Amino acid sequence: MTGKRGELTEVLARRGVPRRDFLKFCAAMTAVLALPRRYVPRVAAALETAPRPPLLWLEYQDCAGNTESLLRASKPTVAELVLDILSLDYHETVMAPAGHQAEKSLMDTVQAYAGKYLVVVEGSIPTKDGGIYCTIGGRTALDWVQEIGGGAAAIIAAGTCAAYGGIPAAAPNPTGAVGVGDLVKGVPIINLPGCPMNVQNLTAVVVHYLTFGALPATDQVGRPLFAYGSRIHDDCERRAHYDAGQFVEEWGDEGHRKGWCLYKMGCKGPETFHNCPIVRWNDGTNWPIGSGHGCVGCSEPYFWDTMSPFYKRLPNLPGFGVEATADKVGLGIVAVVGGAFAVHGVASAIRAKRHPIERHVAEVEEE
Amino acid sequence: MAKIAIDPVTRIEGHLRVEAQVDGGQVTDAWSSATMWRGIETILQGRDPRDAWYFTQRI
Repeated sequence: MTGKRGELTEVLARRGVPRRDFLKFCAAMTAVLALPRRYVPRVAAALETAPRPPLLWLEYQDCAGNTESLLRASKPTVAELVLDILSLDYHETVMAPAGHQAEKSLMDTVQAYAGKYLVVVEGSIPTKDGGIYCTIGGRTALDWVQEIGGGAAAIIAAGTCAAYGGIPAAAPNPTGAVGVGDLVKGVPIINLPGCPMNVQNLTAVVVHYLTFGALPATDQVGRPLFAYGSRIHDDCERRAHYDAGQFVEEWGDEGHRKGWCLYKMGCKGPETFHNCPIVRWNDGTNWPIGSGHGCVGCSEPYFWDTMSPFYKRLPNLPGFGVEATADKVGLGIVAVVGGAFAVHGVASAIRAKRHPIERHVAEVEEE
Repeated sequence: MAKIAIDPVTRIEGHLRVEAQVDGGQVTDAWSSATMWRGIETILQGRDPRDAWYFTQRI
């Protein structure tokens, strides 16, 4: 897999990808990264000229779901970017060599590019009983991740397992599974949780890294703010139904057929931070709530325990909702304007979407 | 008589190790082992049965 590190323009031309598509891709990436439009040329220039580090994709206690997500990147430039341009030197699920040859590919890169290569980790790392619950080439994942991760320029924890331990760490955590951040210290790590992660966000992180030479800004649990800065609930296309008290009460009922709010069916959107409603999945085709199933909160640490049972409704949320009458909804809005929902700028988001007059008033007042 | 080991076996989903006993160009015996364990069955115990599909999908 040690491919040519050719210039991006060349590779794209060889693959017959028009320049216009490349620039559209750059524009889409700046949008995902929440960068102003004037950054498009800078992103394009960086992708065309920046030296591209080799990428090692390490799989430990995983289901290859994040690999699936990666391989589903069907916009041609995205797949090119990650697979050809970045020089994917090691990825067990897709590489040709096996056994000793696979290990050789890995170690060649680790030695030749010490401190310069990027690592993507997929899956958690078991720590119990000396780490025997995951071995590769006779060595434990615990051993591997510290050696390979410790020499990286940066580590991307792809998926909730690599970020926080994920499903193997769900109670009673039989193997003592942990995320990569618990084991590797002194190397910049960014968490891209999700079950699986969204490949658009992985690509955006890589684009950010190549453009600015650093990982993007993160929240208190190591997630990039551009992708995990707002709640599912606040960007949800069904939010109007929540505000109007229109809920699915039973699978297949009238409300379900009409696309009403899934909160009463256990949707965890109100407690989950992710850009699914905006970016969506499979090239923007759809997303869980759009297909009629509640959010399970898969981008939150320890969601397997904290968000389950998945079909059990969250305890009463602040503000309006559930059995609210029209009057109560009105009161709720007053409370919102009063700042009861001040977390993460939710108040302004709600005002912007639903109450332009109140927003205008509030803005004038602020001035 | 030689014993060879292929670990990791690539282009598969999951972790696999294969060992083979080779005798005069013939494989006379072989062993395979899955080298990763998470304990999904253990994790599933005591949970809401409606959640089981979501857990087991991750195998």
